[in-house]
Parts: sequence; structure tokens; C-alpha cells
Amino acid sequence: MPERPSGFANPWFQFVLNIVGVVIYELLLKAGAAATADPTNKWSWIGITALVSPLTWLAIGVIIVDLVIWLYILKYIPLSIAFPLSRAVDVLVPISCWLILREAISPLRWCGIALVIIGLAIVAKPAAQLEERL
Amino acid sequence: MTSWSLVLILIWLGAFVAGQLFFKRAMEVSRAAGFRTRRTILILGIGILMMTISFLLNLGLLQRFDLSYLYPFQGASVIIITLLAAIVLKERLTPRLIIGTLFITAGVVLVSMSYHRP
Repeated sequence: MPERPSGFANPWFQFVLNIVGVVIYELLLKAGAAATADPTNKWSWIGITALVSPLTWLAIGVIIVDLVIWLYILKYIPLSIAFPLSRAVDVLVPISCWLILREAISPLRWCGIALVIIGLAIVAKPAAQLEERL
Repeated sequence: MTSWSLVLILIWLGAFVAGQLFFKRAMEVSRAAGFRTRRTILILGIGILMMTISFLLNLGLLQRFDLSYLYPFQGASVIIITLLAAIVLKERLTPRLIIGTLFITAGVVLVSMSYHRP
């Protein structure tokens, strides 16, 4: 395990940045896809038609930055810890959709979100132990 | 959901899982051999190709489904990636990590199921 950088370069700080980036680009992608939706176009199945939206390209910019951050995180944190923790976005994205895109969330879906939060709390312990070893 | 969209969702997930494993492997190789080696760039390149396939399919699927329904499917990849990280990348799994991962996966499945019972 390489020595952990501190401050801005701290992988856990970058982790938070990465998650914020994912929430932003998912919302941008949905907005871009919705603005260009044309189910009659056969090419739309592979997403090409969404590329005419500037929102989609903005999302691509955020994705590239986020990818660099993610690779940096993977240099220091095992995938089996980093990836489950990155699923914090599975809570943040539906809640952001609910708040910003006005998409509905059913009671069952809220239960699912609660389970994800419990899981994240459980995984946070091995992550903290990893931090002690760093 | 049609069987065609299910096939696309499975390809989307498979490409995503493979991409993550290639990314982690590329970073391991870069730590041992340096970033600008042919091996690192090749493995990273395959990872980026996988992620690009997954990204384009994601765009196509987003035009047909609500993000809050579609996106958590990706969360089902949590348990797959965690197990494959242990098997392929030889990472150490603890019982606690597996239980936490199962909770996250179960939560994600519940979020996905709730789409059928609005």
C-alpha cells in the first residue's frame, strides 16, 4: 500500500469530489437525454442521438474529470472497498432526481434507499480500518 | 420492459463491471511498473473502451427510463465487483465487508423493484 498523500491529494477527499461529480453528471445526462429523446429513431438505442445536446457534452466533460479522480482513488484504495462506498450515489441520485427533476419515489424505493445507507455504514468500518493501516 | 432492453441493460452492466476491474488492474500495474508503460496503457485502454460501451448504452437507456429507476441497476454490480475484486485481483474480503455489500445490493434491488409497483 503506497503512502497516503494528505490535504487536497488525500484519496478520501478525492472520493467525496468523485461522488459529487457522479451526481452532477447523471443529472446532466438525464437532462440531455430527455431533451433529445426520439424513440422512433433506431439509433437512439445506443445513445448516439443524445450527443446533439450540449448538456450531454457538459456531462462528458464532468465524466472525464471524474474518471481521472477515480483512477487516482483506485491507486490507494482497494476496489472491494472503494466501489461499494461509491454506491452512496445510489442514494444521492434518486434523492436528487426527486428534488431537482421532480421524479417520484415510491415508499418501497425509500426502503431500498434506507438499506443502501445501512450497507454503506457497515462498509465504512473496513474503510476506517484501512485508513488506520495507511 | 422488453427483452431487448433487458439484453442492453445486461451488456451495459457487464461492460461496466469489466471496466472497473481493468481500471484497478491498470493502477496496480502502474504502481509496480510506472504509468507510461505499454502494459499500463493497454489495460487502461481496454478499461476505457469498456466504459465507453457502457456509457453509450446508458445514454440510450436513459432516453426510455427514469434515471431514478434505471441508475440503481448499476448498483447490482456492487456485489459482482466486490467478489471479482477478491477472485481476480486477490483483494482481501472480510465478512463485514461482504454483509455491507449485500445490504447495498439488496437496497438497490428494492429500489429497482419498486418501479413495477408505483
